[in-house]
Amino acid sequence: MMEIINGSRCPECGLVVAPPVRICPRHPREMVTVELFGYGSILSYTTLTAAPEGFKPPLHIAMVELLPGGARIFCHGKETRALKIGRRVAIEQMDGIFYFASLDITDRVSMFWKRRGAAPQRTRDAVKSAVKRFLSVYKNGGTAPPSSANQEEKKHAEKK
Amino acid sequence: MRDVWIAAAAMTRFGRREESLENLMADAALEALRDADRQPDALVVTSMAPEEFVGEGNFASHIGTYLGLSRVPSLRVETATSSGAAALYAGFALIASGFHTNVLVAGGEKMTHASTPRVSEIISRVIDPHERSYGATMPALAAMVARAALAKGLFSESDMARVAVKNHANGARNPYAHFQKPVTMEEVMSSRVIADPLRLQHCCPISDGAAAILLTADPTGTKLAGMGQGSDYLAVRYRSSLTGFRATQDAAKAAFRMAGFGPERVQVAEIHDAFAPFEILALEDIGLFPNGKATKAVQNGELMLEGRLPVNPSGGLKARGHALAATGLAQAVEIVWQLTGRAWGRQVKAKVGLAHSIGGMATNNWVTLIEQVA
Repeated sequence: MMEIINGSRCPECGLVVAPPVRICPRHPREMVTVELFGYGSILSYTTLTAAPEGFKPPLHIAMVELLPGGARIFCHGKETRALKIGRRVAIEQMDGIFYFASLDITDRVSMFWKRRGAAPQRTRDAVKSAVKRFLSVYKNGGTAPPSSANQEEKKHAEKK
Repeated sequence: MRDVWIAAAAMTRFGRREESLENLMADAALEALRDADRQPDALVVTSMAPEEFVGEGNFASHIGTYLGLSRVPSLRVETATSSGAAALYAGFALIASGFHTNVLVAGGEKMTHASTPRVSEIISRVIDPHERSYGATMPALAAMVARAALAKGLFSESDMARVAVKNHANGARNPYAHFQKPVTMEEVMSSRVIADPLRLQHCCPISDGAAAILLTADPTGTKLAGMGQGSDYLAVRYRSSLTGFRATQDAAKAAFRMAGFGPERVQVAEIHDAFAPFEILALEDIGLFPNGKATKAVQNGELMLEGRLPVNPSGGLKARGHALAATGLAQAVEIVWQLTGRAWGRQVKAKVGLAHSIGGMATNNWVTLIEQVA
């Protein structure tokens, strides 16, 4: 249902960042890798009408805070016209690049069905695994460890 | 720690210049040496990206030799767009420590010969790699800061335009400025959008130029009273707040602590307005205005030449121009000229001045305090 994004967490202060880095930006401590959900809220955004070399304008860029966990990432989007700070968005990853899409109810439903297909059994499995995953998140201080629930989900995705 | 004094301050006109980087820096440096009438025993050189812009390396020796100072020990200092202030700090430390007595600090940048996308790409290398890989340029990050501040109601788009209008009005009176003509509110607010909500007239230009300051241990009356540096994560996304810069706050605290006085004594300020909203945010980060009051000051005209606290009498980065490594020094030059009555056409009454310089997207910032004591 949701994209998994690689990040890293500081075992000392709990800071979570994405993409993962070796050393915590707050102090010289090695971080551990974690998996984060591609779901968050818009912190700020802009549309560049003068893009740098290698990009075509208009270039839509947003900074998104992943929920839960609090890591922030930059991503591209189709447009920023209807965007607002605080708006919930889903993150998709293609070729290692993050894209945001607004996540209202209809978006969520269509994303869900697009990804999972219509089979009721598969839906029940997906919901179960999502619940498991969210529970593991809250137990682990806002980050998702590479759990069996995640692996189950990946298998589902591959089967499709 | 020894007191450090300013013996001379000089700069070239900023703008689109035909001269080479070496000649721009030589113009400023030779004028400073003539004014000070003394020879340096150390040279601090700065240019942010001479390798990329003009293809020169080993830059301290290159400029040392070009200036006829090849036997004077030289070093190059670089902290992105605040390199000029960083070089001043290095010179300050060389004298305060007792290592040297007269230090020439010279900075310059030459970039108008390159295309705007090329300049933009080179400057963008000061940004975190993940953020840059999404096409984030300095205007893009500044736009995100401005957007967050607008959403919080810290100021309006009109207030951003007011800053640009004020600084252009000052630049129109400064023969050293890149832009020497005023702009109207309408012109600013209808100029083309660069990075929504920032428009062309909210952004500083790409300028060539150079500046030089001769520092000395001998009292001259113009004292480098204090300097402070502040830093922050290279990545903007790691920061807890988008609408204030920790690097400016820390730099200001350190500078005031060293000088032994507070922001209430400052009577004129040069602020790093690479983007108009940054001027408003900096005034509060430095402590020149309490939180929420800087916008009022912009609206009331308190920051104009005849106002309570003239800010950017030179025209700021917006109108005087932004020649990267020359800028931090040019700000100090303007403050020295204001304190010593040489800011013809735009002179204010002041004995204590402040210069504020931002490196990168506020990753390496400086606050400099200069005091006229005689």
